[in-house]
Amino acid sequence: MRSFRTLATYGFLGVMAFVSVFPFAWMIIGATNTSADIIKGRSWPGSALAENLSTLVTTNNVPEILYNSFKVAIIGTALTLLVASMAGYGFEVFKSRFKDRVFGGLLLLMSIPFAALMVPLFVLTGKIGLINTHIGVILPSVAALSLLFIMFYFRQATIAFPSELRDAARVDGLKEWQIFAFIYMPVMKSTYAAATIIVFMAQWNSYLWPLIVLQTNDKKTITLAISSLGTQQLPDYGALMVATILATLPTLLIFFVLQRQFVQGMLGAVK
Amino acid sequence: MKSMKSNGWAFIMPAMVMIGLFMIYPILSSLWMSFQTGRGMNLSFGGFDNLLRLTEDPVFLQALLNTGTFLVVQVPIMIVLALLMATLLNNPDLKFRGLLRTAIFLPCVTSLVAYAILFKSMFALDGVVNQTLIGLYLIDQPIPWLSDPFWAKVLVIIGITWRWTGYNMIFYLAALQNIDRSIYEAARVDGVPPRAVFFRLTIPMLKPVILFTCVMSTIGTLQLFDEVVNLTEGGPGDATLTLSMYIYNLTFKFMPSFGYAATVSYVIVVLVAILSFIQFYVARDRK
Amino acid sequence: MRLNSLKSTGSLGAMLTAGALSLAAGTASAETMLTVWSWDPNFNGDSMQRAMARYQAEHPDVSLVVADFGKDALEQKLQSQLASGSNQGLPDIVLIEDYAAQRFLLTFPQAFEPVGEHVDLSGMAPYKVALATVDGTAYSMPFDSGVTGVFYHRADLEAAGFAQDDLVGITWDRFIEIGQSVEAVTGKDFLVQPFNRTDLLRLMLQSAGTWYTTPDGAVSLGADPRFRKVVEEYIKVMTSGIVQDAAGWTEYVGAFTSHDVSGVATGAWITAAIKANADQAGEWAVAPIPRIDGIEGAVHASNVGGSSWYVMAEGPNTEVALDFLNDVWAGDSDFYADILADKGAVGSLLAARHTAAYDAPDPFFADQKIWADFADWLGVVPEVNFGVFTFEAEAAFLAYVPDVIRGDAALDDALETYERRLTQAIR
Repeated sequence: MRSFRTLATYGFLGVMAFVSVFPFAWMIIGATNTSADIIKGRSWPGSALAENLSTLVTTNNVPEILYNSFKVAIIGTALTLLVASMAGYGFEVFKSRFKDRVFGGLLLLMSIPFAALMVPLFVLTGKIGLINTHIGVILPSVAALSLLFIMFYFRQATIAFPSELRDAARVDGLKEWQIFAFIYMPVMKSTYAAATIIVFMAQWNSYLWPLIVLQTNDKKTITLAISSLGTQQLPDYGALMVATILATLPTLLIFFVLQRQFVQGMLGAVK
Repeated sequence: MKSMKSNGWAFIMPAMVMIGLFMIYPILSSLWMSFQTGRGMNLSFGGFDNLLRLTEDPVFLQALLNTGTFLVVQVPIMIVLALLMATLLNNPDLKFRGLLRTAIFLPCVTSLVAYAILFKSMFALDGVVNQTLIGLYLIDQPIPWLSDPFWAKVLVIIGITWRWTGYNMIFYLAALQNIDRSIYEAARVDGVPPRAVFFRLTIPMLKPVILFTCVMSTIGTLQLFDEVVNLTEGGPGDATLTLSMYIYNLTFKFMPSFGYAATVSYVIVVLVAILSFIQFYVARDRK
Repeated sequence: MRLNSLKSTGSLGAMLTAGALSLAAGTASAETMLTVWSWDPNFNGDSMQRAMARYQAEHPDVSLVVADFGKDALEQKLQSQLASGSNQGLPDIVLIEDYAAQRFLLTFPQAFEPVGEHVDLSGMAPYKVALATVDGTAYSMPFDSGVTGVFYHRADLEAAGFAQDDLVGITWDRFIEIGQSVEAVTGKDFLVQPFNRTDLLRLMLQSAGTWYTTPDGAVSLGADPRFRKVVEEYIKVMTSGIVQDAAGWTEYVGAFTSHDVSGVATGAWITAAIKANADQAGEWAVAPIPRIDGIEGAVHASNVGGSSWYVMAEGPNTEVALDFLNDVWAGDSDFYADILADKGAVGSLLAARHTAAYDAPDPFFADQKIWADFADWLGVVPEVNFGVFTFEAEAAFLAYVPDVIRGDAALDDALETYERRLTQAIR
């Protein structure tokens, strides 16, 4: 019975993992094939990787594009995590009926499709003078893309934050911000880890807003570069595959590094 | 100042300022827009004309129906799968845990471009999926995944589930860390069967996060855009057209009707309000 | 209201700046950087760069920077910006696809410079000028002509006992017969079309001088008998078994470049995709598109997916942009010969037909003089007003007519629903 269950577990997870990885593997194979071969559906590794890479770096300023993407994603992620976790904490720990109403209202804001806000947001960004700047990308996309969502997530996660910890800290004379910074933040490590992955991914992949705000090639992020590569009349799919791998790796690395946070408690229990 | 400190508004303020500036203002502006009618920039106040137009617009009704279908069918499948996988992956005795976790997370970081090209070739009439199904004698005619209205919807559901299940799983994995393992140990010592542990222990402990993912997935599905554009382009015909894609078309592809597009956007808001209320109500603490 | 007031003060500002610029042009140190938004940097962007290289011979103080976006992305970006009324960061020149031209011109009437008032467009293919004309004023510098042909693997045609000439000057009905004979021998469909697109219908409609809507904005179905006739012919082609359904753009290009189908009927810009397969050199041929029988004025020439340059009225360097277009794009045949030879770009300047490049045989097409052919067809493409509702019409068409092609609905019923929906959408 037990061995059957183990077998079923591995079987199920194995199939899921295979299905999940398959398109990714295909993308890597694609990066080694010529564009014409990719179009014809060739599905085994080829020898065009170097050629594809050189096409990509000669037609695009790859270091600059990556720099722009990292800049926007890192600042955006840090800002979102800080502001959202503070708010999530504030809403849950200092609960009041009025705050709950405010929170409910904020939740609804999340449901407005971004396309409906784009034109007024552009007017606003223009008035502040942030068109074609990275700050002009970051501030509105932090506010409209992930802030509410992560605030909601932190609030839900904070429900499990033991109030005894906070009470003890108060008795010890810690100020509220010290409780947040020195007690809450370390305790909620796995929540921060998960949120970092989610927000970084959202900021890194964000497309619609940077497209509208950024005007010149030297400000472009990688999603914009991929979009213009992929919609040509004859896209170079080989170079495109290399670019998509470049676009995927950072989030994947972050996941790889931070996933330890998910298992740490578990390891502690085994020891 | 003291009251500010102790009632927590200071923690909330930075978020409120950002949201106020970059969301409330554009939202008010778009709300105003939803009462405007006309083409392009020649807008005039139309009162509730846009609401009336909704009721007699066959495309809107089709998009609403499609979006509702995706929501009702897809979200439950995804949530159950994600929960199941998170629970299985949380087992400390499981080998290759890190590898499996990363693999299952992969789809949501895989580039949409690559995934669209591959999915379309896999699900083509003579693609690998049909060949496999025929090889297994499950079907004898290839399934027209892209050109049949029913199967195109199935394909979109497969696509969203594939892309977002691992993503939802992360939230559950992170939340499972908050459960004290000794509870599980105790249950095991007491001989509680695994199924009962899952339903009596895991699910109740994860309730806040499950509620969170349900609300977020509801919002995500009501705003569904990427998968549809990349896999089926809303077709065949309007068979997989979603509300978000219709808003996009009304704003950018068709002769722009900014006011009407804003009105359709607020349909999504109202739907989210109703559905979130129901979800919170079902998940409320019964005392 | 708000937009209009912004616009008018804006254009005053632009005039002042332009004036200041032409004054400054006297001093040697003044430098002007023209900004262009376009898609497809290898094709459109590079053509623009080459034009600038020529312009710089006389105007060393002018330079060019091209920002690349996807085509849909560019339309979306331009539309958001124009709707916001902000001039900040507007380019000098943008590329717009023909199908979207009237929509932009009519939605944002003061955003675009009437190019025809400053530049002599008389040497351009008339249908291209007509596409961007509003109330008698032309607003674009015609570029990619979108002139069409039937591209095919010669061996397939010959295998069924036909010669290249058998495809010249025929009707669609004859084309279907030939396609079916070829398929009987080779087992391959003759043409391909991405599912959820109507490129073939676009091609047939314009070749017959009609479109989804009439020039005065009515639904053609009730008002123009030619429309229904074309649709009937289109359905005949689609149900004849000679057109393969492709799952998307990639699969579409894959079908004819990997020889899953015998060929493709579309704009000359597809040549680049065909030539990317060097191993197929010498195997290809081009025929004029078939004519629709029974419609007066229907020809063997059409336009699919062409595009043109537009000058932003409130761009930073409007005057220079116009001078640049006038100098190179409006009359320099050598320039057009250059982008034809290197890029396969068939521009819209009729006089370029007389350059050596256009007369050269192309070895990839077994020394057929395909460019001379395209240039000849360019002159006879019928003028059509695409209006502003092309995408609404195609969405409605694709919602109902494919059922007829599959045999699940009657044509009359489908067209009736199509007409009702389109009328509702454009009211």
